[in-house]
Amino acid sequence: MKVPDNFLYYLSAHADCNARLLARAKELTAQDLEVLPNADAKRLRKMVFEVLGETHRMKAFVRLKPLGGAILHGYLKPRHKIAERVCDHFARRNPRTIIVLGNGLESWISLFYEGRILCEHGAGLTETLEQLESVLRDFGMQGSNECEREAKEKDRKNEWKEGKDAESIWKAYYDSQYCPDRKNLRVFRQRMPRRDQESAGLRLLESKENVTLEDFF
Amino acid sequence: MVTLEKIAHLASDCRFDSLGPDAQMDSEKLSMLGGGTRHDVCASTFSPRSPGLPGICHSFTQDGRCVSLFKTLYTNYCSHQCNYCTNAANCSQKTRAFTYTPQELAGITLSLYQGNYIEGLFLSSGSGRNEDVVMEKIVETARLLREKHAFAGYIHLKVLPGASRSHIQEAMELADRVSINLEASSPAHMNEMSATKNYETDIIQRQRYIRDLMSKTDRKASLPAGQTTQLVVGAGAESDMEIFKRILYEYREIGVKRAYYSAFSPQRGTPFESRAPQQKWREHRLYQMDWLYRIYHFQPQEIHHAFDENGFLGNADPKMAIARQSMDSPADPNVASYSELLRIPGIGPRSAQRIIALRKMHPIKGKTELAQMGVRIKRAAPFLKINGWRDSTLLMWSA
Repeated sequence: MKVPDNFLYYLSAHADCNARLLARAKELTAQDLEVLPNADAKRLRKMVFEVLGETHRMKAFVRLKPLGGAILHGYLKPRHKIAERVCDHFARRNPRTIIVLGNGLESWISLFYEGRILCEHGAGLTETLEQLESVLRDFGMQGSNECEREAKEKDRKNEWKEGKDAESIWKAYYDSQYCPDRKNLRVFRQRMPRRDQESAGLRLLESKENVTLEDFF
Repeated sequence: MVTLEKIAHLASDCRFDSLGPDAQMDSEKLSMLGGGTRHDVCASTFSPRSPGLPGICHSFTQDGRCVSLFKTLYTNYCSHQCNYCTNAANCSQKTRAFTYTPQELAGITLSLYQGNYIEGLFLSSGSGRNEDVVMEKIVETARLLREKHAFAGYIHLKVLPGASRSHIQEAMELADRVSINLEASSPAHMNEMSATKNYETDIIQRQRYIRDLMSKTDRKASLPAGQTTQLVVGAGAESDMEIFKRILYEYREIGVKRAYYSAFSPQRGTPFESRAPQQKWREHRLYQMDWLYRIYHFQPQEIHHAFDENGFLGNADPKMAIARQSMDSPADPNVASYSELLRIPGIGPRSAQRIIALRKMHPIKGKTELAQMGVRIKRAAPFLKINGWRDSTLLMWSA
């Protein structure tokens, strides 16, 4: 992967980015960052890829749970300032559904509706969800919110959702995909770093009974 | 249009499982039919349609392989007699037969997609009693997803050996990618592995159908992610050279996007149960060979340098073997062309591009600079000459 043209955007989202660094980066092009063999360029390049990497993995690892018919919510506590972008990604993937991502401290809300992204930054996840639910309830009684009405209708149509818990389906399926004769925990840890799993509220394996002493060597 | 009557009718036509038409979503079925595709390697979800789909790996199993699709069999009932497969009719320790209905599959796919567990569906299957009936169900599932539920995710459908041209076309109109597994590299090796599949008519001919349908101008079966294929490696005695020849044919004549290699591992109850498992490194070396041809654009005659006299790749980097035999003199990174740079071990497409971009700014002074650009100096040094200086030829053999 190459350094993207809008690398300044990613650089500024980095947790360790500051005004001085950004000013220095502004003098460079994406091409400079890509090829210059000095420590400075290398460091900036690394920072850009750290942000890109975390964004990509959050899009992959965050799991969404339905709440009523209109909301999908998930846990997200990223190291870099990427939550809004991730939230928008999920909103585009699930048009006309309110996406809420967040943790105990803050949350991000996005809705993709009629080709536009509406987004909002809120307090803790639970609090935001409660607020949203109560707002939706009020609208539902008045029957004035078109978006919610459609979402409800969509929910009714989706008979398949009833009684089928995605998490348990997933568990049974995920376990079936493992080939024990190919066991390779080193690659697993490399592809699913614990740090990123934690940011997405994911806890895949690392169950100690599956790990033998061999795996540490 | 799909009517409920049609679905119900087809479902009762094709009910091999003992659970009956109102089968509950049981985890045994999920894991049996999911496990049936464990050896299918393709997990790509990138599709250059509009708007394009990204390649995202949502999780990895403990074997380090990506799980990005709900990859499952439609049914594990199969009338073929493939000597390596646990679902084959001639396997003595077969498990119970399970079958999904298109509705069940569409439902699972949608709920997993919504929960962001997967990017889409990968649907393969045993042949059932009749592959046409199963193909119809596979197409039915994709149609339910696309037309009834407006599913925008990725769909990869397997074409069953011997499927009809019209079913293939229907599958192609709905899927991002279709594939049919070669399994063997030649008709003779196929006969050794399966008594019921005809290599030429059941498999190669179907690949040609896919190729021809893709090139039709109406673009209805445009198949954005193309067709792929997979081989079982090490079940028979086929050499890597034979595999390479077959793959060349696949890339040049059939136009497959890419090939996958799956190392044979003996399964209980199958006729091949007592055969030795294939070492996993062979897969890795075959992929390296594949990359040299497909990504690095090495000529086939260059790649031949990597095979030993029996036509096998050793457990070493084939690019290094090729470089030792074909690079007569070391290359100067300040003047070498892109394709010359690519032929140096330790330099890949990205570092080659960087070298070319950097030397436009200023000449490359030494190995440290190359290392900063991602060149693996230890491997590359014996083949490099920077400003007239080079490491000794001896190093070339110890690298």
